[in-house]
Amino acid sequence: MVLSEAYLVIGGPQGSGLETSAQVLTVAFASRGYGVVANREYHSNIMGRHSYVVFTVNSRRLVGHLSAPFHVAAFMDAESVFTHFEEVSKGSIFVYDRDVEATPLEKVVSMEPARRARVERRLRELGVEPTVGGVVEHLRSRGVRVAGLSFRGILERLQSRYQVPRGRLRRFTSAIVAGAVAGALGLDAAALEEGFRYRFRRREHLVEPNVYTAMLAAEEVRGQAGSIDLEPGSLELGEALVVTGNEAVAIGKVIAGVRFQSYYPITPAQDESFYLEEHELLDAGGERLGSVVVLQTEDELAAIAAAIGAALTGARAATATSGPGYDLMVEGLSWAGISEVPVVVTLYQRGGPSTGMPTRGSQEDLLASLFAGHGEFPRIVLSSGDHEEALRDAVTAANLAEKYQLPVIHLLDKFLANTVKMIELPDPAGMRVERGVWEEEPGPDYRRFRLDAPTHPISPRAPLGGAVMWYTGVEHDEYGHVSEDPEMRMKMMEKRMEKLSLADREIPERGERAVLYPGGEKPSSIEMLILGWGSVKPVVLEAVERLRREGVAAAYLHLRYFQPFPARYVYALVKGVKEHGGKVVAVEHSYRAQASMVVEMNTGLIVPYKVVKYTGRPIYLHELLEALREIHAGKTGRVVLRFGE
Amino acid sequence: MESRAVEQGGAPPPAGRGARRPEDYRTPLWVDWCPGCGNFGILTALTQAFAELGLEPRRTVVVSGIGCSGKTPHYIYANGVHTLHGRAIPFATGIKLANPGLTVLVVGGDGDLLGIGAGHFVALGRRNLDITVIMHNNQVYGLTKGQASPTLPYGVKTKALPKPNIQDMVNPIALALASGYTFVARGYALDVKGLKELIKQAIRHRGAAFIDVLQPCVTYNDVYTVQFYRRALYRLEDDPDWDPLVRSPEEAPEKMARAVAKSMEWGERIPYGVFYVDPTKPSFEERLEKRLPGYLDQPPALQRVEQAGKPTVTREHLRRIFGEKIVQVNPARRGRR
Repeated sequence: MVLSEAYLVIGGPQGSGLETSAQVLTVAFASRGYGVVANREYHSNIMGRHSYVVFTVNSRRLVGHLSAPFHVAAFMDAESVFTHFEEVSKGSIFVYDRDVEATPLEKVVSMEPARRARVERRLRELGVEPTVGGVVEHLRSRGVRVAGLSFRGILERLQSRYQVPRGRLRRFTSAIVAGAVAGALGLDAAALEEGFRYRFRRREHLVEPNVYTAMLAAEEVRGQAGSIDLEPGSLELGEALVVTGNEAVAIGKVIAGVRFQSYYPITPAQDESFYLEEHELLDAGGERLGSVVVLQTEDELAAIAAAIGAALTGARAATATSGPGYDLMVEGLSWAGISEVPVVVTLYQRGGPSTGMPTRGSQEDLLASLFAGHGEFPRIVLSSGDHEEALRDAVTAANLAEKYQLPVIHLLDKFLANTVKMIELPDPAGMRVERGVWEEEPGPDYRRFRLDAPTHPISPRAPLGGAVMWYTGVEHDEYGHVSEDPEMRMKMMEKRMEKLSLADREIPERGERAVLYPGGEKPSSIEMLILGWGSVKPVVLEAVERLRREGVAAAYLHLRYFQPFPARYVYALVKGVKEHGGKVVAVEHSYRAQASMVVEMNTGLIVPYKVVKYTGRPIYLHELLEALREIHAGKTGRVVLRFGE
Repeated sequence: MESRAVEQGGAPPPAGRGARRPEDYRTPLWVDWCPGCGNFGILTALTQAFAELGLEPRRTVVVSGIGCSGKTPHYIYANGVHTLHGRAIPFATGIKLANPGLTVLVVGGDGDLLGIGAGHFVALGRRNLDITVIMHNNQVYGLTKGQASPTLPYGVKTKALPKPNIQDMVNPIALALASGYTFVARGYALDVKGLKELIKQAIRHRGAAFIDVLQPCVTYNDVYTVQFYRRALYRLEDDPDWDPLVRSPEEAPEKMARAVAKSMEWGERIPYGVFYVDPTKPSFEERLEKRLPGYLDQPPALQRVEQAGKPTVTREHLRRIFGEKIVQVNPARRGRR
């Protein structure tokens, strides 16, 4: 059977070049006209712990979802074999290092005790000898096409051909894995070469020996296990961006005109600031577009404070962080609220609480993004579902912040941050930069918090440096001077909160704040309305399509704004679906399905069905489909997903 | 314009033409510090220094934290940013970096700068950003009724404390030196003229400047009183051999060691004046200009990022800036091997 879509996994110890394999493969597939997405799973560790990358490759369109069982699995070490052996099925190609065949489970010291116990139990149940060789034999007996490569042997051949110093040979393990996948899926040397060129941009001399190594592995795999028939890629994009979510947001910020970003290093947000800093010169081949100041601060208290300070001067300013850092930023958020400062906080959610699971994904911070901060103040909270949205929303977030003079929280998560995806090159000509209301020529009597402006409740801004004004975190009068007068308090409170009502009137609910897929669907014709947000979008969209093919009239309501919440639209839709006997199901990465709580709070309607996952691993298509089918069949109301190591 | 009614909480009359006077830098607000508070001396010294330097109010920003000193910006006719407890320095950092053409000062209390904001205090020294930090040092938390601050020595019992202070004091001068401030001085709130001169020097200094201002709290601190300081204080400059200026980078270690040694004097005799000045170390703005040529002319606040509602960045710019992330998609070219 010829496949149009394939699922792959590669694994190895952290620090062993797995990321290189992933990047090379992603680019190789993209360059051959395949839609490709790659999600990286790793521990909070620099070297030695198990990490793996899961891919979906599609020959006809851009993709964002993941699924299993995997058609191809290629592993560097024994731990990967023990960890993932049940994620392949009959006909899959399974590549491993023959040199570790004798390694018993007990010798895999880097494996966590909990997982080891689980694997041990499972092998006992299956009656499989607890060695790599035992596992491989088991797979072979189940119809998996196994290819055992001698990594050492391949590296020896590399050594004799290119005289690579012995100490550096292990660095080519990444090429073996990339080559193994290429061999299993019929990707040619030229495509791999594109991948290695992308990876070793300024170290061209590494390309040839890497391609050589990869092709040795590819041929070996084909010889031992044959290959899987994947349709040729047919995407005619001309050019595409291959970026992580972090990078997509950074590019969006550059387009938005964010020229000041402060941050404190935290996983998984830091790569965004790093990437911005790498391109701080905005050097467009000789033409300079200005520059971005990226400041690494001493903590997140300072990161948000510095971003606010920069915003007061009229610069577009932002900061990027994750849960624990966001907690520290909350005091600054409250200050930005009372002082009406346009500042963007890009918040990458990871598993909490506390340090939680720093390198794993979650959607647990929705409620915190909405409610953290003392006192009442307006803020806008929007979230992005994929790389394309994340890039565009980085621009939107900056616009909204300045338009309504308030903090904007742009919610993303680890899944999106670290996932490499192929997307179309965006065209900024189709985007807007809206800088809000400014006082053209502020006089000596300039009132920053003017209450009688024609644009009320928006007071025209002036930058520090362009007028004399005062800001304070204390309740204040029109000039920004401290005031505890009860009437002034009421006026200022009302002015600030009315900005949220204004935003609620001005930002379209349908299509912007919430998006229904398929678009024209009537509530009466929806059998199952899935509510979701953020990075569940690609997998839910895929599930909806499959369900519809199975005859289930499913639809997906993608929630993008949580403040101002698209209450009227969501109310009408949810109520309509329920009245016609349809089921409303939340799909989320949190224990409580936090978005469903926000829906309930804003609409007064209950979301009765929930599919949740809180392992920190992404939701896979196969497990989601199963869960939705069960709910559709009336078997259960709540499904907890758990696939993925 | 002069006739504009001054409302409660309003702005002051604008500065007159010609040379500015200290009173041109005052807002008409009633100052609500305790009568006799050392803050009055600091406020006066600030406005005098501003007048003598002829600072443009629009181009000057006074950033404060929380507490009695936090109110200072409201009494000054220049931009004022009254921030969060401990965070005046990072707010000021963002302001200065986004628009380095502005003159930026931080006024804060000892609790603000060396307690809750100590990390930021150190960070500013490391950056040597061109900001002047003026610390109102009265050794107590005034607005919360007299708790010990980080500059109150161990064992001292002021009248508001139920028990003698159980924590040691931090040495602000030594901390500033160790952190990398390139202008470090101590002033006295009641020596307004001397303080004014220090503030002028600090503002003119290119780099992070710190002035530890001893400021008697008449309400809560009955140990470090005016009488105490009158007896204890002596001027560094009275010693003809005292030379705090670093003339070349090689001189810095020795000058700093002397300044640190001097800063250990606390008790019967307390030195004040300029401890250390190093104009040879590059400021953060200069370091940035090196990395980002053109930064000083086109800092974040002055860059145009929008043209008729559209981004100034085009698709072609993206191709050139982020070209390394672009992959040519070529499904037709297959099996070249």
